[in-house]
Amino acid sequence: MIRKTRRRGTWLAATVLAAGSLIATALPAYAETGVTRGEIKLGITLPLTGAASPGYNKIGNAMNAYFKYVNENGGVYGRKITLIQKNDEYSPQLSIAKTNELILKDKVFALVGPLGTANFTAVHKSVGLAKRGVPSLFLNTGFSGFAKKTSYPASFMILPSYAMEAKIIAQFLKENHAGKKLGIVYQNDEFGIDGMGAFKAAGTKFDVTVPYTSGSQSAATAQTWVSQLAAGGAQVVVFFGVTSATAPLLAVSAAAKYAPQWILGSVGSDPLTLRALGVPVAVLNGAQTPAGNPSPNDTSDEYIKQFQEINTKYNTGTAFDDYVLQGMNIGLMTVQGLRAAGSNPTRKGLISAIETKGSSFASVAYSPLGYSKTSNVGHTGYYMAVMDANGDRKPFGGTVKLYTTDSGSGPVVLSTFKRPAMPAKGLPSNS
Amino acid sequence: MKNFKFKRSLTLIAVSSLLSITVVSIPTVAQAAPACTTANYVTTCLGATTDTAPYMLMTPANFNGTVYLYSHGYRPNVPIPLGIPAYGGYTVTNTPEPAPGGNPQIIGALLAKGFAVMGSGFARQGWNADSAIKTNVELIDVFKKQYPKTTKVIAWGDSLGGFITQALAEKYPNLISASASFCMASDITPLMTVAGDALWGIKTFFDSTIKGGNYAAGPAGYAESMGDLVKVFTAIGAMQAAIVANPAAPAWPATSTVPAALKAVPSRSALVLIALMSGIPMQSAHFDSTSAPAGIPAASALSFQLAINPALAALENLANAAALGVLATHDLELQAGGAVFDNTATDYAARVSDEQFIWSSALSGNAGIGALLGYLAVVPRAKGNPAAIAKMASLTTHTGKVDIPTILFTGTADPVTAPGNQQSVVDKYAAYYAEKWEAVKKAKGYKRPANNQLALWSIPPAKYTKFTAAGSPDTSVAAAPGTNHCNFTVAQRLAIAELLAYASLTGKHLSGGPLLTKIRKAGNMTYDRGYNAPKMKYYGG
Repeated sequence: MIRKTRRRGTWLAATVLAAGSLIATALPAYAETGVTRGEIKLGITLPLTGAASPGYNKIGNAMNAYFKYVNENGGVYGRKITLIQKNDEYSPQLSIAKTNELILKDKVFALVGPLGTANFTAVHKSVGLAKRGVPSLFLNTGFSGFAKKTSYPASFMILPSYAMEAKIIAQFLKENHAGKKLGIVYQNDEFGIDGMGAFKAAGTKFDVTVPYTSGSQSAATAQTWVSQLAAGGAQVVVFFGVTSATAPLLAVSAAAKYAPQWILGSVGSDPLTLRALGVPVAVLNGAQTPAGNPSPNDTSDEYIKQFQEINTKYNTGTAFDDYVLQGMNIGLMTVQGLRAAGSNPTRKGLISAIETKGSSFASVAYSPLGYSKTSNVGHTGYYMAVMDANGDRKPFGGTVKLYTTDSGSGPVVLSTFKRPAMPAKGLPSNS
Repeated sequence: MKNFKFKRSLTLIAVSSLLSITVVSIPTVAQAAPACTTANYVTTCLGATTDTAPYMLMTPANFNGTVYLYSHGYRPNVPIPLGIPAYGGYTVTNTPEPAPGGNPQIIGALLAKGFAVMGSGFARQGWNADSAIKTNVELIDVFKKQYPKTTKVIAWGDSLGGFITQALAEKYPNLISASASFCMASDITPLMTVAGDALWGIKTFFDSTIKGGNYAAGPAGYAESMGDLVKVFTAIGAMQAAIVANPAAPAWPATSTVPAALKAVPSRSALVLIALMSGIPMQSAHFDSTSAPAGIPAASALSFQLAINPALAALENLANAAALGVLATHDLELQAGGAVFDNTATDYAARVSDEQFIWSSALSGNAGIGALLGYLAVVPRAKGNPAAIAKMASLTTHTGKVDIPTILFTGTADPVTAPGNQQSVVDKYAAYYAEKWEAVKKAKGYKRPANNQLALWSIPPAKYTKFTAAGSPDTSVAAAPGTNHCNFTVAQRLAIAELLAYASLTGKHLSGGPLLTKIRKAGNMTYDRGYNAPKMKYYGG
């Protein structure tokens, strides 16, 4: 009797096990870090406080607002997206610590929109993103080095590189400011290496060159920049740095009644943030700038219109500017990436999906995306814009004249690229 | 940027902890049997191995058959005159150390559980790995003869002792059943490259009369090395004073002979470059390279975070590493018969190609980096003695090939044995493991070989720099976890002792939830197989 029972027990156990494995086969596998039956966890490091935070501190909340909107509309294959923001105060050492927290403690599936070139370089080196295979989507930096697939196999850029931007500005200078005395103020790190290298390759010669060390920007240091520019007689001044440096530069110039033609690099030219930092709108009037996206005030644009609606509902009280637009757009791109990775996303699958399908993703920017199996390049071009008396941005010459190029020796060409339409209601349905 | 005062001198908080030694009375002549006394159910035996190295055995009455063999860290092999910060007054000692620092809490906890502990003081101080390994092998035999019921020997050690321990595990799996290397030193050649680069950097930027190596033989060389110690600490002290006086643009020390044009670059950037090119971490005991005093304007705070705090971290770590660099260089040159550091072919620009972006502000931007590296490219280099370098390279090195459970544990901001030391053994073991797995697959097997290496890390908190009410950095507080050399708690030590006991009994490491729970309870221990510490510069890190 005992023997019989034992046999029966063994058989029962085997049956239960078999049934269990059948169930396990039928159910989706949730073995990937940061993905559960109901949730996909993502993370971002960025400066939420401190001198470098103005503007940048809006990106995470904007992204989150877009994710909330998607979550309320069914999520991604039924899963809700959770975004964890970590404040790195723009300090590379802190970026390492916070990214370690995201990966080891919070166990995020992927990083989205990590910000800062020095910061991401530090993180990539110290956290071992490539070895871990953690996808780093849509970096908020334009350093062309990050497009090197062999070094950054799990990372994707979104912004055109600083080299592309400099090449396009160089072309614009040639076409519109020939014969003028040129000056440049630039951040003297990889930002500058990318930009200055491209200006040099394009044959642009600056009469006054003012490098500044990242982190040293203040009203006092801006005073020395302006003195050098004015003493050198610069009539057209290119600024290639971050907003926390643009603001003192323009404010000090205004006070000194030094008024060259400003060409403000895309990174440090958001009018709303500059005005919030005390730059008089009159100083911005007439400033020229390369732009990748439509003006955040252009409600005739389907992307802007949709994102503004989302911002009003899910990011209440936050003025809609370039940074909010950037955050929302990264959200939109991320959702497309997650959808393209399928209903059971893995880190490898996400990377592969962006490599194979990412170049056709809908994005607010006018220029093509460069993703492929061999390229991490994001958007590839700019149009030149000019700021008006209201601090708004309009295409230079009245219509968008889009230039595209690469980060190397390729030419700057006028593009006829037609960007994909905004998905219906701003909700991607791609696969 | 406001000026500030340190609450405590940096140079005074240097590596004195390295020199904590248990003082006991020991026989001076090698003898066949140790002299034993029993008190409170613990028998303490003192004796010496045939090489005259004194040892100590401590065995409880309820001995369970397992003994922990501890190998102590580097002790200078020359006396150090009074007046030299941190080391002054040191006399060479070979006092045995049966547990880390002779810590009574650790010894008591192990004895209470029935374990025995033992350790040698080794016959020679300085870099003594080759002779110490032999001493330890003999000591194991001595212990087994004294206590025939011995079944397991667990090896553990700190720093140089960690090197010795790993070598024992690789070479004598028949004698050792499990091992743990704390804050381990890696092979001597990469280690001396760190010391040489750091000393050469200090000499080049701050005081060209520092010899930094190639010391004369005999007493003259000893005097030169002691002179170097004084000069190194003087330069570091001068840099500290300069930063205190003007954090944004500290003056160059009076002893510096760099060209006037280079002095336009803040001297603090040279400190950062020396740390980066040597591979010395950029977080130190009291400086996290991220914090700024509260209440200062945002722009000043950012500048402090990105430029000043990293310079102070570099300064504090160099204060810890450089003195030991002088002593070890002198020692190795004595052993090898000539200069062991050669940087005639070193490309320092390539060395810092990644980090120069990360630490751009601290290095004063591209202009600062270019000027500093440009100077390094044109000044005379240190030329080594090929025969001496070859002799040093012939000393014991690690293969990483272990077939018994081994544990590695280090702080990721250890300034003396940077985490790349541990990483080099992790990498070597990974290659060995891959080799073994390939062999299994080739033989049509499917079972993965056991993973015999458990690498643990102590990672500093994101922020830990403390400031006084006046806004000055406070270096009187305890060093942050993961910083300083061999900065571990008793709880961490005992957690690893328990992991070793488990591994010794079962032949495998504790894993999964029980492992994670144990290390979580000990605090500040990270187990992460994906973690990769920066390689030592010698290995291309």
